[in-house]
Amino acid sequence: MPTYVLIAGTPAVADLVAMAVSLDRGVVAVVVGDESLARAASVPGVDTVIWLQASADAALEAYAGSVADLVTDPGVVLAGRNPWERVLLGAVAARLDAPVLTGATRVVAEGAATVVTHGVYGGIAQATVAVEGPVALVLDGGAALAGGGTAPVETATAAPTGITQASLTPHQAPAADLAGAARVVGVGRGLRSADDLPLVQALATALGAELACSRPVAEGLEWLPKDRYVGISGQHIAPDLYVMVGISGQIQHMGGCSGARVVVSVNSDKDAPVVAQSDLVLTGDLYTLVPAITEALERSGHGQ
Amino acid sequence: MIIVVTYQWAPDPQEATVAADGTVDFSRAKPQISDYDATAIEVGRALADATGARLVGVSVTGGAGAAPVATKAALARGLDEVLVVSDPRLEGAGTTMTATAIAAAVRSLGEVSLVLTGDSSIDNGAKMVAGVLGGVLGWPVLTDVTAVRFVGEGLEAVRVVPQGVQTMAVTAPAVIATAADAAKPKAPGMKDVLAAGKKPVRIMTADEAGVVIRAEGVLRSTGRAPAPARRMVRIDTSDPASAGAELVSSLRAAGVWGG
Amino acid sequence: MSFELTDEQQLTRSSVREFAEADVAPIAAEIDREHRPPLDIVPKLGELGLLGMLVPEEYGGVGMDTVSYCIAIEELSRVCASTAVLVEAHSSLCTWPIVHYGTEEQKQAYLPDLASGAKIGAFGLTEPNAGSDAGNTATTAVRDGDEFILNGQKIFITNGGFADVFVIMARSTDAPGTHGVSAFIVDRDTPGFTIGEPEHKMGIRGSSTVPLFFSDARIPAANLLGQEGKGFNLAMATLDGGRTGIAAQAVGIAQGAFEAAVAYAKERVQFGKPIASLQAIQWMIADMATEIEAGRLLVYQAADLEWRHEPFATHSAMAKLFCAEMATRVAGKAIQIHGGVGYTEAYPVERAYRDAKITEIYEGTNEIQRLVVSRAFLR
Repeated sequence: MPTYVLIAGTPAVADLVAMAVSLDRGVVAVVVGDESLARAASVPGVDTVIWLQASADAALEAYAGSVADLVTDPGVVLAGRNPWERVLLGAVAARLDAPVLTGATRVVAEGAATVVTHGVYGGIAQATVAVEGPVALVLDGGAALAGGGTAPVETATAAPTGITQASLTPHQAPAADLAGAARVVGVGRGLRSADDLPLVQALATALGAELACSRPVAEGLEWLPKDRYVGISGQHIAPDLYVMVGISGQIQHMGGCSGARVVVSVNSDKDAPVVAQSDLVLTGDLYTLVPAITEALERSGHGQ
Repeated sequence: MIIVVTYQWAPDPQEATVAADGTVDFSRAKPQISDYDATAIEVGRALADATGARLVGVSVTGGAGAAPVATKAALARGLDEVLVVSDPRLEGAGTTMTATAIAAAVRSLGEVSLVLTGDSSIDNGAKMVAGVLGGVLGWPVLTDVTAVRFVGEGLEAVRVVPQGVQTMAVTAPAVIATAADAAKPKAPGMKDVLAAGKKPVRIMTADEAGVVIRAEGVLRSTGRAPAPARRMVRIDTSDPASAGAELVSSLRAAGVWGG
Repeated sequence: MSFELTDEQQLTRSSVREFAEADVAPIAAEIDREHRPPLDIVPKLGELGLLGMLVPEEYGGVGMDTVSYCIAIEELSRVCASTAVLVEAHSSLCTWPIVHYGTEEQKQAYLPDLASGAKIGAFGLTEPNAGSDAGNTATTAVRDGDEFILNGQKIFITNGGFADVFVIMARSTDAPGTHGVSAFIVDRDTPGFTIGEPEHKMGIRGSSTVPLFFSDARIPAANLLGQEGKGFNLAMATLDGGRTGIAAQAVGIAQGAFEAAVAYAKERVQFGKPIASLQAIQWMIADMATEIEAGRLLVYQAADLEWRHEPFATHSAMAKLFCAEMATRVAGKAIQIHGGVGYTEAYPVERAYRDAKITEIYEGTNEIQRLVVSRAFLR
């Protein structure tokens, strides 16, 4: 009953592989994508790489049935949070009638059983369950895999079914890469107007950071594209530094950035929930503080 | 033609309280149709109006969702009828059990061309129901879809991915999870509220739906979500310039700025 | 007896709340600050059925029960009392008398547009020398063939600045006191009918309150609403129902202020702990919650009596009397809990306090309500 890691479209699944290796039941990586992705998946600790070559015009989701065919005897099956990763995992869980758990923080092998501590109700509480038989876990992927292992790459043939890409219109502006960013600046409703975004963008530029936001800024106000909102239901980020500007710190948002190493908050309310969730707290008017911080950063020279 | 929209009658966990032992108290949180599901219903209504399809809501519940107030709340949002799988043993059902029960209900309806789900369940938030449901039904699944329409025998779905805007051709029947911003749900009108009670409602037990209830693991313990320990160091902001300088040196000391 | 709301009443609350929070709450402070009626959302109010609540289905309305109506007013008031009074005056004071006193032709001509929101309604009773003393009405309506000629002035007319249809009280016979008063439906574009400058009010600043002037304004005789000389009875019956609506408005204002106070009390830390942990605050919260609940029950009882065609005038007067003063007290305490910031525009409670005060005054002052209530027991 090896541990399977489903890899599709992106090599950014190092945390999944680490968790799989820690279970010490043998690790099989099932890769849907191109050959370079399959080679990247062959990292130390992975015993077998099974590669399904994705055709250019098929959606990664079209391989759901093929992937389910390959995952025959698992204990644990792991996948990341990208849409196609979730669909592949769902197909496997359906085939095996396996429970799906999300946000696992601890996974332990106990003989044939797997004991999983995971978030429940969107992460407001956690539960520890023992599962006999297969279990599917959805997790943040982590850093990119870069090969270097000895696992052979076995090719599996697969016929994609159901979904083909008719067209792809590239974004005008490059899409945000929040998940992989080392530094992120998030802006919330404390900003009075979209016209004031340059103030926060200047801070992000000075920090070499990606610009992110809370959900209302992206979905209600539409000041920023929705791929930039951080939260339980949005982007999950784990940067070295997360600077929150005018974000009160409700759990909907904080659930998406709990993995940040250092959290800085700039907020006018000294009692806002964000304070208890920050390492460094600046209370005051963001319209004064943000330019002051930007200037201090610029004066201190380059970040790297 | 039938279009199904799955929905859930559940409280928002953000309104629940969590005790030190991890017990979640939902007594102050009112069950509702979530914004995610309301969005899916809104998309489904537009599709049904465009195609003349019947729009059927399917829900799985431990019991509360079978109450008239729950079915009326769903119907008031524009569904033509609802089908509820209600069984006390489904209370707190996980994703796979829920998706299996939805699949059974969908199969019982006959010729379904499309199942729409919300972006995410309000109680679990795992965004996994669509994937498992498609797996059980053996249908293609596409999630995070911002627009969908029928084209010929199949579907055309649009979604935004990091590479750009993808337009996908999907064979029907299919499972489509709508993105949170696929539509802006409107509050039900007063006429919709009064008309809801006159629409058909069917309630079936798990046995009637042919669903075999299985435990999804054995609960060992519960606990509060661990909050990452933060330092909560307050920087004096009475002078913004020196506050900025102090922050920069703190970031340097923490190893996240400078060399 | 049951105190449980029906499914439809519960859904009315959740639907109106959803709409109010999404579309009304974001503009509430702004329209108050700018003394600007929320005309942008009138089409949405119409689409949702909130302007046809008291109009039967056959005339394009919703035909909902009066408890549901009060719940809708309450939920709008919870976020914006100005929007609520637009709906309340339109519904209770204009659509209601046309539904109950109008001829078939009048109903066909006016109700569908009023129910859809294509037209907005207003009600004109108050004059410089005839407020609570409606028998002193000085506006005249003189019969001339197939027309009445109106002359006179009305003041403090809610919705008047933009309304299309007015129900106007005017003296049409020589009969003394209240007996000579008749009701008329007057279209906005009637020659000789002009609208004055809006009042600058303490509260409900997003509501339009204007004087009306009639100078040889000719209206068709067919626009006489109800029987000639029975206008006073029509006005009093209209206000009996309107009072329940205003009481519901007061409950909603109080509820909004209460929720703001509870949220603030939990967040605000003094002496190292949230002020909600202080008994002084806890007692205020307890009193506020209790008073709101008492008022709400009075409102629903009066509305339910009306819906069941039981006598309800005393109960609607009691509801308005209690709820209006309750709302002012609750909003005052909400400011007190907020402390200094509660006195500023940064928080919604000062607006609630200003808005609450009018509920003690309009659609019959609380002194008139006391008169109505006392008469029920002393006659």
